[in-house]
Amino acid sequence: MIKNYFKIGWRNMMKNKFFSFINIFGLSVGLACCMLIALYLNYETSFDSQHKNAPNVYQVITAFVQNGSKRMKMPNTPAPMAGALKQEYPEVVETARLLKLFIDDKTIIQYNPANGERKSLLEQNGFLADQSFFKIFTYNFTEGNVANALTNPRTIVVSKKLAEKLFGNQPALSKVIHVNSNTNGEQDYTITGVFDDGKVPSHISANFFLSVAGGSMEGFIKRQGNDYASNNMFYTYLLLKPGTSPATLQAKLPTFIDKYAGKDLKNMGFQKEQSLLALRDIHLSSEVESNVTAPASKTYLYVLFSIAAFTLIIACINFMNLSTARSSKRSSEVGVRKVLGAEKSTLIRQFLGESVLMTLIAFVFAIVITLILLPLFNQLADKNITLSADKDTVLFFEFLLMALITGVLAGSYPAFYLSSFNPVKVLKGKLTNSLAVVAVRKGLVVFQFIISVVLIVASVVIARQMNFMRTADLGFAKDQQIVLPLRTANAKAAYAAMKADLQQNSQVASIGASAYYPGVFNPSDNLLYREGQTTAEGRRTRLNYVDNNFLQTLDIKPVAGRLFSPAFGADTNVNIIINEKAAKEYGFGSAQNAINKKIQNNYQGNTTAYTIVGVVKDFHYEDLHLPVTPYGFLLNTGGYNYMVIHAKQGNMASMLKTIEASWKKYDPNDPFDYTFMDDDFQKNYQADTRLAGIVSYFTVVAILISCLGLFGLAAFSAEQRTKEIGVRKVLGASVKTIVSLLSVDFLKLIIASVIIASPIAWWLMNKWLQAFAYRKDIDWTIFAYTATIAIFIGLITIGSQALKAALANPVKSLRSE
Amino acid sequence: MLSLQHISKYYQVGGNKNFVINDISLDIDEGEFISIMGPSGSGKSTLLNIIGMLDEPTDGFHYFVDQPVHQLKEKQRAALYKQYIGFVFQAYHLIDELTVYENIETPLIYQDVKGSERKAMVADMLDRFQIVGKKDLFPAQLSGGQQQLVGIARALIAKPKLLLADEPTGNLNSKQGEEIMELFRKLNKEDGVTIIQVTHSEKNAEYGTRIINLLDGRVESSRKL
Repeated sequence: MIKNYFKIGWRNMMKNKFFSFINIFGLSVGLACCMLIALYLNYETSFDSQHKNAPNVYQVITAFVQNGSKRMKMPNTPAPMAGALKQEYPEVVETARLLKLFIDDKTIIQYNPANGERKSLLEQNGFLADQSFFKIFTYNFTEGNVANALTNPRTIVVSKKLAEKLFGNQPALSKVIHVNSNTNGEQDYTITGVFDDGKVPSHISANFFLSVAGGSMEGFIKRQGNDYASNNMFYTYLLLKPGTSPATLQAKLPTFIDKYAGKDLKNMGFQKEQSLLALRDIHLSSEVESNVTAPASKTYLYVLFSIAAFTLIIACINFMNLSTARSSKRSSEVGVRKVLGAEKSTLIRQFLGESVLMTLIAFVFAIVITLILLPLFNQLADKNITLSADKDTVLFFEFLLMALITGVLAGSYPAFYLSSFNPVKVLKGKLTNSLAVVAVRKGLVVFQFIISVVLIVASVVIARQMNFMRTADLGFAKDQQIVLPLRTANAKAAYAAMKADLQQNSQVASIGASAYYPGVFNPSDNLLYREGQTTAEGRRTRLNYVDNNFLQTLDIKPVAGRLFSPAFGADTNVNIIINEKAAKEYGFGSAQNAINKKIQNNYQGNTTAYTIVGVVKDFHYEDLHLPVTPYGFLLNTGGYNYMVIHAKQGNMASMLKTIEASWKKYDPNDPFDYTFMDDDFQKNYQADTRLAGIVSYFTVVAILISCLGLFGLAAFSAEQRTKEIGVRKVLGASVKTIVSLLSVDFLKLIIASVIIASPIAWWLMNKWLQAFAYRKDIDWTIFAYTATIAIFIGLITIGSQALKAALANPVKSLRSE
Repeated sequence: MLSLQHISKYYQVGGNKNFVINDISLDIDEGEFISIMGPSGSGKSTLLNIIGMLDEPTDGFHYFVDQPVHQLKEKQRAALYKQYIGFVFQAYHLIDELTVYENIETPLIYQDVKGSERKAMVADMLDRFQIVGKKDLFPAQLSGGQQQLVGIARALIAKPKLLLADEPTGNLNSKQGEEIMELFRKLNKEDGVTIIQVTHSEKNAEYGTRIINLLDGRVESSRKL
């Protein structure tokens, strides 16, 4: 019987190639969209599954509480925390600290073979890790022994990729390399392990691990001593005894904090709440700020999943609508079959068989489309997702199941509708589409276009916001700024000479240096408060250490007082320049009022005071997701991490050549590397850019499939009304009136969709925009654009069919009846 | 074989009953060949459809092989119908997407006859109607007479006791019509199939053993030949 269903299904499909094409095309694309997104979700939820201890591993999360208000949760803790937790609680089997080389934009790794050329690499994703790290996490070592990999001081474990870069096919074990880090100083390290990080992604996407002992961080940790309040910068991981409830342990942590950090916290004027985050949840916890790697936003995953599902639903609706619209063509068959003894259930199965056959064909195309588009999708999503028949068999079966379910869903409504025909009526040829069915069909078309319209609005809003962020005035000059990282002691020492040299060049407007610059992570901060207040009233203020040309180089404008400059040679590091926001938050009333006033900081019982010499206009040192918060500049005489060269308009290539020559002259041993400040700033929008890209592609796909369906319906409606059109033409109707006659019904549906979709889209996109502290709000013009786009697309789709019908020779169409 | 007692079918139009069949009582014995005649709108086809259980009367009692059809559930009625009744239409109503062979086979599929058995039965039927050579053709490739032959073969494949034909020759020329009528007579005489046909043609009606004339939903006359 099944064979019979498929046979007749196949013949029907071949007989109506146009409708089959619309359906199979739509279903293929819809299924492919779902497959791509399923792969993406699969990838995002697979993080850290390779670690054998995963179910018992937790990251310690800190929420900072000041004056009763909670700041963002962070995964950071002070250095002594890990050891104390292990000592205090027997259920904590093992702890490990991890520290990202957070001041290094890149770390210089050099290999100097006895005979051969020196190799110098700029590497990212370097970490400091305790030796217990590999007891908690599973790493597959290709060389060396996991058990004692980071036991000795100045030992390093590198990724296979890095080992290959350094040594080619030679063994890496026991080789000595030179690591130069802004965070951890400059030392030689012995390689004690090489790991293959495999295919499963981890939230710690590490390139190399340094032993804690032997670097400058070791001293820092020692100086920290038993301070459990400040310098929250280490990631602390706990391995719990199997069967331990994390909630029970978490409930004990307030006592722990009270015991160890209570006094220090009181001095510093804030409280800490600790919680535990399961390892497998880390990658999907976007509420935790600045984790080891950027988390995936669950919201984005939901958004992507919904878009994919909606695309498939649109394709299913096409199938339903075209099937019921064409039902008159199948009605006599239904009648005959019923007369021949078919029961309703048999017929339902037959029609479901046909829709399943169609989706199975679509499934094959969808797999092909997915395989073809996967590299493009990876590029768009910046991922490395693979799909292969041998490795992902289960996934293939899941896809097949998805296709079957789609087939049943798409086919069910037409199957019930078609199989319910009364044979006596249909065999007399008196079938007219019942009003109910026509209403359902109209409803479904409206539903399709609501989805499309929402997607159009979303694309437009996202594009406008992206454009706004790209072009917004950031409060400093971001263009023509060349940033040279000063990664080594040599480079830092050479800064003054390079500056003097390059300032001779007429294309250089200004040169400055700093610890950080807008757009990159600014880890230094302090709780600062007005003289006369207490720490409890302190405001978290980001600090940057600059030379006396940096503010001019970035064109940051003073609103009161003055900037640091060579003209005020007597400035020392007790003078501070703050932004307007800081002046306001400290309670100075106006910028002018703040000048020559003092602000203070209390660290481990010692008070430091700074005199405000200038207030500058607020500028965006972080991207536009985040509001401007208090910020201060302190003058430093050396040890800058970045040199910033503001170039005048002109030949950038020759400018860069000049800079490189100067670099080679004063610091010949370090590789020359530069970035542009505007590019670095834009990098903060990568996730948004990706979303924008994905949404706009899916929008095009959704509109395409919707329009195909509409096109099919319009074609069918024109065909059905051939006789009516012929009669009207004979009676003197013009082409114009006939086109509008055929178009107006569909246009009404599109307009209804726009009206229903607009508030939904407004609500959704307004919610999305809330994530941006600075945004281009939605206004009526967006809906005007969208309505115009939707109606225009609809008119083209329907109009072509209407025109074709209207231009047909009435003599022919009447004779054919 | 079947008995209709006080069968009526009407539609409520406003306050009036619009009768299609008005209180018809009729007994038909096994082996009869009945021709129903009457002007358009006299209720011939509706009567045939009621006998064939495709349509339900509004009032009255309907017995078929001693079973009270008016009391049976949908399922039981379907079972009865599948076992005993075959239908032939004026417009043949072959399924366009199926070949001659498959069209004839279809009723057997709905009766859950096994594949091998089906093959034998269809082959037999093709042979009997001398259309073996056309078994792989689609309806559109056949003449009207040939299509009706297939339609009859299909109606007979499940060996029904009662063959209902709604103007079986209405779309055919006189020669083709005559052949079909000869076939009906043969089926009736040799195989003992009870036949009820609706026809406009006096000549075709003469092939039957009884002619029933309908007018305005009533039996106007009934005469045995």
